Amino acid sequence: MDEYDELFEIEDKFEDQFADELEVLAAMEEDESFKPSKRQKRGQGDDISDIEHLLDEPTTPKTKRQRQEAGVAKRLFDPGQRKAPQQSYDITPPSSPEQYDLFDTARPVRSVMDISGLATIPETPSRAPTAAPPSQHVLKRPPLEGDYITVTDSSGNRVYLRQKEDAGTKVASSRIVPDSFGALGLLTVPIGVLREQEIKRRHDQLVEESERLTELLTGSVNDVIVEPESIEDLEDIEGQMSRLWVDRFSPRHYTELLSDDFTNRCLLKWLKLWDGVVFGRERKSHPARFDRQAAGQNTSKPNHTNQNPNRFKTKVEMTEEILEAELDQYKRPKFKVALLSGPPGLGKTTLAHIIAKQAGYNVVEINASDDRSAEVFQKRIDTATQMKSVLGVNEKPNCLIIDEIDGAPTAAINILLAALNRKDGHSGEATETMKKKKKKESILLRPIICICNDLYVPALRPLRQQAFLLTFPQTQPSRLSQRLTEISLLHGMKADTGALMSLCEKTDNDIRACINTLQFLYGRGLKQVDVRTIQSVSVGQKDQNKGLFHLWQEIFQLPRTKRKRIGEGFEEAPGSGSGSQRFHHVFHLASSSGEYEKVSQGLYDNYLSMRIRDPNLQSVCEALEWLSFSDRLNQEILHCQNFSLMRYLPFLSVTFHFLFAHTHVPRITYPHSQHEAFSRLNSSRNALSTMLSDIPACIRTRTSQQILALDMLPLLLDILCPKLRPVNPQLFSSREKEQMHELVDTMLAYNLSYRQDRTPEGQYTYILEPRVEEVVRYPSLPPRRQLTYQAKQTISREMEQEKMRRAEQLILQRNPAGTLIQKQEEKKNRGSKLTSNHQQRLENIVKQTTVEARPEVDFFGRAITPKPRREQLSSDRGEKCPSLLMGKAVGNSDVWFRFNEGMSNAVRRNVYIRELL
Amino acid sequence: MSLWVDKYRPTSLSKLDYHKEQAAQLRNLVQCGDFPHLLVYGPSGGGKKSRIMCLLRELYGAGVEKLRMEHQTLVAPSKKKIEINTIASNYHLEVNARQGGRSVLFHLLFHCFTSYFIFFFIASHLISSSFSLLHILFHLLFHCFTYFVSTVMLETRTRVVIQELIKTVAQSQQIQSSTQREFKVVLLTEVDRLTKDAQHALRRTMEKYTATCRLILCSTSTSKVIGPIRSRCLAIRVPLPSTEEVCSVLTAVCKKEGLLLPPELAKQISERSGRNLRKALLMCEACRVQQYPFSADQEIPVADWVIYLRETANAIVSQQSPQRLLEVRARLYELLTHCIPPDVIMKGLLTELLNNCDGQLKTEVAHLAAYYEHRLQLGNKAIYHLEAFVARFMAMYKKFMEDGLDGMMF
Repeated sequence: MDEYDELFEIEDKFEDQFADELEVLAAMEEDESFKPSKRQKRGQGDDISDIEHLLDEPTTPKTKRQRQEAGVAKRLFDPGQRKAPQQSYDITPPSSPEQYDLFDTARPVRSVMDISGLATIPETPSRAPTAAPPSQHVLKRPPLEGDYITVTDSSGNRVYLRQKEDAGTKVASSRIVPDSFGALGLLTVPIGVLREQEIKRRHDQLVEESERLTELLTGSVNDVIVEPESIEDLEDIEGQMSRLWVDRFSPRHYTELLSDDFTNRCLLKWLKLWDGVVFGRERKSHPARFDRQAAGQNTSKPNHTNQNPNRFKTKVEMTEEILEAELDQYKRPKFKVALLSGPPGLGKTTLAHIIAKQAGYNVVEINASDDRSAEVFQKRIDTATQMKSVLGVNEKPNCLIIDEIDGAPTAAINILLAALNRKDGHSGEATETMKKKKKKESILLRPIICICNDLYVPALRPLRQQAFLLTFPQTQPSRLSQRLTEISLLHGMKADTGALMSLCEKTDNDIRACINTLQFLYGRGLKQVDVRTIQSVSVGQKDQNKGLFHLWQEIFQLPRTKRKRIGEGFEEAPGSGSGSQRFHHVFHLASSSGEYEKVSQGLYDNYLSMRIRDPNLQSVCEALEWLSFSDRLNQEILHCQNFSLMRYLPFLSVTFHFLFAHTHVPRITYPHSQHEAFSRLNSSRNALSTMLSDIPACIRTRTSQQILALDMLPLLLDILCPKLRPVNPQLFSSREKEQMHELVDTMLAYNLSYRQDRTPEGQYTYILEPRVEEVVRYPSLPPRRQLTYQAKQTISREMEQEKMRRAEQLILQRNPAGTLIQKQEEKKNRGSKLTSNHQQRLENIVKQTTVEARPEVDFFGRAITPKPRREQLSSDRGEKCPSLLMGKAVGNSDVWFRFNEGMSNAVRRNVYIRELL
Repeated sequence: MSLWVDKYRPTSLSKLDYHKEQAAQLRNLVQCGDFPHLLVYGPSGGGKKSRIMCLLRELYGAGVEKLRMEHQTLVAPSKKKIEINTIASNYHLEVNARQGGRSVLFHLLFHCFTSYFIFFFIASHLISSSFSLLHILFHLLFHCFTYFVSTVMLETRTRVVIQELIKTVAQSQQIQSSTQREFKVVLLTEVDRLTKDAQHALRRTMEKYTATCRLILCSTSTSKVIGPIRSRCLAIRVPLPSTEEVCSVLTAVCKKEGLLLPPELAKQISERSGRNLRKALLMCEACRVQQYPFSADQEIPVADWVIYLRETANAIVSQQSPQRLLEVRARLYELLTHCIPPDVIMKGLLTELLNNCDGQLKTEVAHLAAYYEHRLQLGNKAIYHLEAFVARFMAMYKKFMEDGLDGMMF
């Protein structure tokens, strides 16, 4: 039977996956076993029994089922020990396991199936309480004498069962009765048949259980239940009506949680990983458990050790794998922080609290209402993680829950990170870490759970990488509505499922909002809740921002055709249905978003790419009419501060919805166009104003930006591109020279110049500066005639010269006296020095030819050091006469030549631009 | 000063080339001593500014024309520095208080020079606040003589600035009466860009301080100047020169340049330029750069945006669909980002579209354009209104064409 195989599969995984959960359930089971007595007492003593009676009825069946399930779960661990805690409070090792063993030996097929029974086998020899009896039957080696059966479990361990002795003991317990009765002839059915029946019964029972287990797996494990006890508690404590229902009906136990099972399980599992370090011996992760089984520890909780080692690698969830795989040197899990994220009202905080409590921690919470400055945060983290309460009942280790962490300042989060990454110098053994703990800077040894709504807040970025991330999915509406039904029943409200479902939908499955709405309705004296009231009530709707894209989508998309209808007019999507409903829906969305400017931009950018149905463009015209209307409204609002007009703005979205909404999914792009246009307009304005700013005043008064852009520039740029012959400007004709001069003049007058630039390809180009060309040229038009590179080069050179010329002229104009003096001085100098150019040259030549032997005279006739200079001077005087004589001799003749011997006798002189030009 | 437009600009009333009667009247106006407020209006390129400058020269002498650039920084009360570029002559200074291209706040020009005159040029791009007003007012109070306030590109949104500024200018007593004129002249250009509020602020001021202050307002049309102001001013319309006048100016300029301009080309240029003299001169010079000697059928360069606008109009006429509207929108954006004012775009589109319309459609289209142009003035986002006009035209044109086709069928 493949059913069987499936069953095993599931069971195997189940053990792996749900170990923690099961443990919690078991713990609850134990609790519960105490409770009935309590309850009985109360039930007798309380006078509110009528209410209780009313409450109990619908809920009791469920609790029963729950208990059964729990029982099943527990039985799976160790069927033998199951009954013990339930029936009697003292846990004694039962005598029954032997029986199982016997059956196993008799029917090997069943032994495979009965995992829990078999699982005890390999361990039993080493186990203290149960070890004694089975050790006689189960042997690791084949017994020397007597018959035996070999049994191999799925992990490959082979044990040998002594057949004879087994039979003996079995007989000893069961035969005594049949023997005696048999002798008396009271046993009508032979023992063999009885045995068969017994086996069959057990088998059936097991199958049934396992079936229920699968149910439990697939269905809702933590199905809504309202514990009668808890209700009683509530009634006891009773601030009665003053308390919010949300608080009163908040889940007390793991099983009552409404949130997604997988999320719950993951968090629980993660928390359990800390057991090793927090509770020391108690619990470790799966691989660790493997070892321990061999070592034979953990005597206190035998049901854990009973668990099968994970023989098959589960592929279920990567997160789980990660969770199980790694423990660091301090036996802490790899991720020291769990980060829960999700929209409000799904029960994140509740989950964290309950799981922490359930795992045996004392919960310390920090939330947004506390001071979260860096110092305080540091202090609180330290207190929570390093210390432990010694007084009072709750002598438990702390578990820090940081709620609403997305609102915390970055500094605080950094402190948290620092706390996470604290390290000890040595590799930590348990004793060493204990020592370290006393130091101020010790490693983090307590779990921290962080809760946030928005996972992608910038401040959380570093934390995200180091945290075990858990995103909360939406609560299942079915489960939520079930819980709501119970709550309403408790208070005598009539609510059909349909109404509650629509409530769930309205609030986006926000548990808190649902219950609050319900209480609100109850408070108004409503005893009956139907769809209509739910829909008419405006409570429970969150005013939360859904984002612009969502809004645009809602506007441009018709709601999908009505969903399945359960009741009359029930389950309509909020935006569907009649026109007025859609109207109100879109209107509500648009007015709650508030960003009218952006919204209308998005509408404007996208509406033309929608499928427009009418060919006559009527809807487009109307849409534009509305856009221009809203533009005028905006202008009025901003200009006159008339903010009462703001209320008319969201109607634009409504109009667009009715004009353009289509069933197709719209492809919406973010509106960039206006911003882009604005920035480009700015850049071209800047270009114009830089150009204007340096235009000479006489022209400046006649121009403005507008005139420049419209009339002047386009033609001016044409004027600036004359046809120039590609020759050296020196070779230009006078006409061409004049033209060039005018061109340069114009460019200077309008503050334009060519700037050499290098293109990415490595070519050099000259571009007009300021970049007014971009203001004038349009992309699709044919390019205007451009000057060649050479021409531009020439022009820019000419411009530079012209600029210098003008600058010098300006200087001359400013202080004509100073320059005159300078000139005169220059003239004097020249006059005093020499009369003519060639004579000067000649003299030099003469000097050099005559006084060639002179050492250490540099090029200008000056010596390098002062000392030789004097010598030089003296030598100058000394040899002047002959040289001059010779010079005269040379200079007097009209014809002379000079031989240049590979050296230039350049002379430093002041040269002015005007002399060169 | 090498562009012909600048080189051959007339500087005195007697040298003006056309509307000589008007020039004579202006001279009489100056000479008779009782100088009224003026509202000079007329289309762009008709010579308004030249005429005003000539008038000022007639009033104050040649010193008005010597200009130089200056840079100043003002510190606003909020400790914010405002960089101001100023144009100055011996007689006036033009301060350009635009804040480095950022959110344009002030174009406040002011100037003081010799002990005789203080000329104020206000070029303000005021949008909201007037925080540096106080500071400027202090300056104003310190040296008050004759003011010459010229608002270049006055787009002020704050009535307060205009009100306070002019009031202060006008209130201050003239200390020395030996100057040529006993009144101050305030020149406001582009009055049509003033908001209604600012204009209303102006009107009382004008009236109250007539004794000491004269205003010369300069705008392209009177339609955007509110009635009370119009009635307070002597309106002087400077019409565009006729085609012949443009031709004669062009030939005269070419003659001075030593060039020979064929009359056909001159006529063509003057037609193509739309009698805008500035444009005509620039075109003529561009022609000369392109080709000299001139030929009669030479190609005349036209500004790119005109061509682009024409193509846009053709695109509208050739197809009417949302997709085409999207393309047109992109082109409109392109035009807007090239600093073409939206009303110019609207006007250009209308003229191009009218060429493609039948007689009866023309009135409707013109009516549409007027309607949306008005919306444009009221609103802030030009693109909405332009596109609305285009869409409306498309719808109308399409319907018209389809009706026409139906008519053909029967």
